Amino acid sequence: MLPLYLLNSAKSQPILVELKNGETLNGLLTNCDSWMNLTLSEVIQTSPNAEVFTKIPEIYIRGSHIKYLRLPEQTMDYAKEQNMINMEQRNKNQNRRGGRPNNNSGNFNRRRNDNNRGGNYNNRRGNSSNYHQSHGAGDS
Amino acid sequence: MESKETARDGNQNNRDHKDQRRRNNGTKQEGPKREAILDLNKYKDTQIKVEFIGGRQIVGVLKGFDQLMNLVLESVEETLRDPEDPNVLTKDTRSLGRVVVRGPSLLTISPLDGSEVIDNPFVAAEVQA
Repeated sequence: MLPLYLLNSAKSQPILVELKNGETLNGLLTNCDSWMNLTLSEVIQTSPNAEVFTKIPEIYIRGSHIKYLRLPEQTMDYAKEQNMINMEQRNKNQNRRGGRPNNNSGNFNRRRNDNNRGGNYNNRRGNSSNYHQSHGAGDS
Repeated sequence: MESKETARDGNQNNRDHKDQRRRNNGTKQEGPKREAILDLNKYKDTQIKVEFIGGRQIVGVLKGFDQLMNLVLESVEETLRDPEDPNVLTKDTRSLGRVVVRGPSLLTISPLDGSEVIDNPFVAAEVQA
């Protein structure tokens, strides 16, 4: 289970975010991206010394300054369920295309499938950094 | 000389090819999430509160922004902090006028409209339960 994948499946659920400065934010997760930047709605912001409480309709949070997140208990089950559905979908797609997955599939589908295959994702990363290196060598 | 030239040309082609492949690879990894998750257009010409990495807090009217989330704010007021305890905000402010905020040093962005300081809501919840 990948952290960002879990986070993605917690959308529209109430979560708690603690920032590196000790501030905490309770609210509904509206959106997140691959940097873990978040947007929350109906937020209660608590100051680091837990003395000031502020109600905010919406807030954008920089991902690099998050210390940790607390998600509802059910999120894991929900994410697993989604994972199963996606796997089935992928298998169907694979069969239809004669064992070649992802060809000509929409962006959305491609992303979902990427998320299911943690190992492949890493492999690709390795490749892309190789490109970097060879590119640099060509320059010099 | 000539052979060198062609060799370099070949190299260039090769590089372009690799460049393209890398770019394709990149988009595959990132997926469709290239666009910002927050639409700042809805906050244009309204007051927003911006918190910075390091703890400073300002309030200003959003005039412009870019995809890196650099902001242009007008009639900016910084809320000053207690010199003894930087976590504590004071009632003092200082005027900064027109400010360009660098995106990478942003911590949070929230609208001022609809925000209010409230009593501890968690204690109340505990008492009720």
